[in-house]
Amino acid sequence: MPGLAPLLLGDGRLPVGAYTYSAGLEPSVAAGLTRDRIPALLRARLRTAAVTEAAATVLALRAAGRNPVDYGPVQRALAARTPAAPLRDASAALGRGVHRLARRLAPEHPAVTALSTIRPRPLRPVALGALGAVMNVSEEDLAHAVVYDELQTVTSAALKLLPGDPLDTVAWILAAEPDATAAVQEALAVRTPAELPARTPLLTEQWALQHARQERRLFHA
Amino acid sequence: MPDQQQTHPHHPQTPGTPRALRLGVAGPVGTGKSSILATLCRELAGELAMAVVTNDIYTDEDARFLRSAGVLPTERIKAVETGACPHTAIRDDVSANLDAVEDLEEAYGPLDLVLVESGGDNLTATFSPALADAQLFCIDVAGGGDVARKGGPGITGADLLIVNKTDLAPYVDVDVAAMVTDARSARNGLPVLALSKNDPGAIAELADWVRSVLARHRDGTHIPTDPGPMAPHSHSHGHSHSHDS
Repeated sequence: MPGLAPLLLGDGRLPVGAYTYSAGLEPSVAAGLTRDRIPALLRARLRTAAVTEAAATVLALRAAGRNPVDYGPVQRALAARTPAAPLRDASAALGRGVHRLARRLAPEHPAVTALSTIRPRPLRPVALGALGAVMNVSEEDLAHAVVYDELQTVTSAALKLLPGDPLDTVAWILAAEPDATAAVQEALAVRTPAELPARTPLLTEQWALQHARQERRLFHA
Repeated sequence: MPDQQQTHPHHPQTPGTPRALRLGVAGPVGTGKSSILATLCRELAGELAMAVVTNDIYTDEDARFLRSAGVLPTERIKAVETGACPHTAIRDDVSANLDAVEDLEEAYGPLDLVLVESGGDNLTATFSPALADAQLFCIDVAGGGDVARKGGPGITGADLLIVNKTDLAPYVDVDVAAMVTDARSARNGLPVLALSKNDPGAIAELADWVRSVLARHRDGTHIPTDPGPMAPHSHSHGHSHSHDS
């Protein structure tokens, strides 16, 4: 039985501003994605963006446990693998909410104070690594939370963007479990920032760039 | 640090200097929130350093309205996307709005006043004190003379209740005085203002109210109060639920 911290990290109601984010669904819908393709999008995200995201989070958690804490290498490696500016901006915006929560929980924790030195702002996986250290969660639990959050974010946004039976979304997430498990395992196997896989798909980047210029949006990315 | 700012209205960097007053503007769709923001900017921008955050459900329409009104430099008006969760953004999870307020303070500060306009929804959506130090709630005569009697946390507990568009009252058969009396009786002494954008006297009263809250905010005597949680809201199809998750 896991403790409460991993459950909190996976909870879509965690008050860190994630409801403004669709994990690429809104840009995909604008580009023509239909409801029947959402499970395929979930699988695609699990093999691409979610691996990078989870691996960077685990690297940040490891950095948070060292003395002194230096997130520079993982922040830079992740930024370099996120070439589309709107995606970096989205990650920084999400990271800000996580950072605020980490400060509220443990303002003096070295994993948290080290976040404040990152310019311009910690990307979400870096802030999540710090939060994971504060909450004392394992690498595996943290990677699982990141991967699950990816699925939950897309399916929650789908209820607004491609409405249908909300019960479908639960079935989609359960069906994605093998890919989710593989993503977690792959993320845990990454040892150094230099090994961080660069997985953001080209179409995701292109759609994110287009989305940033859209005026009628529900989600910021 | 921002989390400290939420509990203490003072910048830790400059002890004793209060950060900007964060004033929320809530109320149902179409009651005139954006117009009130434009009025406040017109009345106060000459004497106060101001900025505005808007929360539209689907577009940046309100931000554009305000920018086109020319009442503030356009870069001081920031629109926040709320993922179709306007209630969430001002109460359950205020992250996106806090980010916007902090960005404006960082870029143009020190500011005296930041106005945060909620996405218009219904009678139950009010600001959390984690976001707004004070809030005004806006209803209008065109929404019906009985609105004030219907109550709800905004009507009963907001720092100021505005009964807007009083100039329309003759056209919609509403007795403004009776509506204000209803509102006062629901509010246990909290102020009510009958307002029209064509009523200079009422506009001056509104501006004075904001100045008085700002003065109390600065001398530390203003205590942010929470009008209360949002009750589940009912729809015309006859059941009630909450769609904030």
